Amino acid sequence: MITSISILVDEATYDITPDGMKLRAMDPSRVAMVDFEWPKTVFDEYACDAPTKMCLNITELLKLLKRAGKDEAVELSLDEKTGRLQVTISGKYTRTFNMPTLEAAEEEVPTPKLAFNAKIKATTQGLREAIEDAALVSDHVRIEVDPEKLVLHATGDLMGANIELKKGSDALLDLEVKETVKATFSLSYLNEIIKTAAATSDIATLEFSTDMPIKLDFQQPKEGKLTFYLAPRIEVE
Amino acid sequence: MRVIADLHMHSRFSRATSEKMNIEEIARFAKIKGLTLVGTGDFSHPKWLKDITQDLAEVENTGLYKPASDPESPIRFMITNEVSTIFTHEGSSKKIHHVILSPNLEIAAQINDRLEKYGNLSIDGRPTLNITAPQLVEEVMQVSPENEVFPAHAWTPWFSIFGAFSGFDHVEDCYQDMTQYIHALETGLSSDPPMNWRLSALDKYTLVSNSDSHSSWPWRLGREANVFELEKLTYTEILDAIRQKDSRRFKFTIETDPAYGKYHWTGHRDCHVSMSPQEAIKFGNICPVCRRRLTKGVEQRVEELADRPSGFRPANAIGYMHLLPLSEIIQTVLGAASPSVQSVWGVYNRLIAEFGDEYSVLIDAPLDKMAKIVDARVAEAIIRVRKGEVRITPGYDGVYGQLVLFENTQPQKQEKQLARQQKNLTDFM
Repeated sequence: MITSISILVDEATYDITPDGMKLRAMDPSRVAMVDFEWPKTVFDEYACDAPTKMCLNITELLKLLKRAGKDEAVELSLDEKTGRLQVTISGKYTRTFNMPTLEAAEEEVPTPKLAFNAKIKATTQGLREAIEDAALVSDHVRIEVDPEKLVLHATGDLMGANIELKKGSDALLDLEVKETVKATFSLSYLNEIIKTAAATSDIATLEFSTDMPIKLDFQQPKEGKLTFYLAPRIEVE
Repeated sequence: MRVIADLHMHSRFSRATSEKMNIEEIARFAKIKGLTLVGTGDFSHPKWLKDITQDLAEVENTGLYKPASDPESPIRFMITNEVSTIFTHEGSSKKIHHVILSPNLEIAAQINDRLEKYGNLSIDGRPTLNITAPQLVEEVMQVSPENEVFPAHAWTPWFSIFGAFSGFDHVEDCYQDMTQYIHALETGLSSDPPMNWRLSALDKYTLVSNSDSHSSWPWRLGREANVFELEKLTYTEILDAIRQKDSRRFKFTIETDPAYGKYHWTGHRDCHVSMSPQEAIKFGNICPVCRRRLTKGVEQRVEELADRPSGFRPANAIGYMHLLPLSEIIQTVLGAASPSVQSVWGVYNRLIAEFGDEYSVLIDAPLDKMAKIVDARVAEAIIRVRKGEVRITPGYDGVYGQLVLFENTQPQKQEKQLARQQKNLTDFM
């Protein structure tokens, strides 16, 4: 989960409330956004008396969390007096790290105002493979959806690729299309988003309209939320 | 007498420089271009110093030289050099290029004796020296007060005094207590005087323009230059006009449109990304293709340091004129792949034969006379460039700007402007 966030931002501010924690941030070029929520039910134990904000260096946090093995427990605890986050990893032995928090961003990041003409439900594995195919030949991909299928077109300087996912196939679970839509996106972003999010989710829902941002929602257990928005590239003839 | 001077270029001993950059070739093309005075460049390189000592003859009592093999040549040479200094300032690495002017070969040799302590002078015509900028100025000025040092191409992202990557925000921060000896700044291809006028701190400096050419072709040599009106052409007269910022003697600079320069806009060459300062700021100066930091262009860097709005002209400013290389104007009209193809040379040579040199064609030649000897579209294009009625697709991250002469035609080398097509999420909020 933290890896998914770290592909877009180095630092981010978490909103922490008695009900859970959430984070919404745009990458520095404002091409992509991550919108993440974990209700308290996701955690084995969760305690928060009053709402607060916590800004962290995500890259540094990730380094610490990667030290935890599969069967080990991780406890995060914020000391508001010292402004430091304590990360305790317990398993064969216990190690406790602490790291500074940063000045939290006060302003809320709004989500884009979008109306969607196509909604696609697919397996993250299927999507990941399709995007990896496209990335072999180009740095961008055009996604087209009609009532029967989703097609990815990638055109590079030397090679091209055409990847088709038909409705009802193993990879494409559902398709709702008001009208045929197409939009082009950077594969650098799309590839990393889908690759990292696939580690947290088996099913993704994609929504977009022609030449509009795409919303990628990765289904999470226990009412968690991991959604990305990615701005399109507009093709000019 | 009118003197058109290009004081910064390189010899065949500099990296990425034409093998033909020798005295004979430089003099030949300088005459075709319409230049009067050119810099030798590279005087610190032992082999080039030996070449110019043999191939140049001193013009008595002028501090200038002429080709030894062609005593009748109208072209004069000034002994000049460019050096790169690498040093640390307040914990960050600084890489700054400087131009040095010297009144004769003997003094240039004395400068070399001092500079060789700081780096190997024989590796590159533009040597890299482990010396601070103020130390360089001190060493050079201790040899002779008639020497002059000024920062080269002051705004390019790398290797310049105001460069976005390893430069300073103020001249004084770079040259420290030696700032008193700095009288001029070379604006470079990607900036022009109006851009520099936006910084009140630069009012006291004379803005000079040179080609920094690595070849003798007329689309490189003299593409930027300084125009003087002097009673007598001497080193001292030129130096004094620069130091005094004397608009009676230093009439104007010849400038390419700054958009023509390789670093005018912000971008990434490999990603085909090019952005105006406003767009780059919107994208957080991050490339939307590879997601690494963009190469900040000169226009954006000027915007950061400016304390005046665009359009401001200081009272004591030296004038300027925007021109573009004639070969490239012809190339664009003909739709040729390069300015060096025979079809371009054919038109170029007819114009030079009629009007004497390139600057005369670009600045003075009447439309009707040109239209009688070359394609009328070429004649019209020259007039349009003279009047500033052309558009340049801005250069970025090492890619030259592209000339658009007529709005219904496309630039010859159309780049994919992907960054301008990449939308930003804030466009949808």
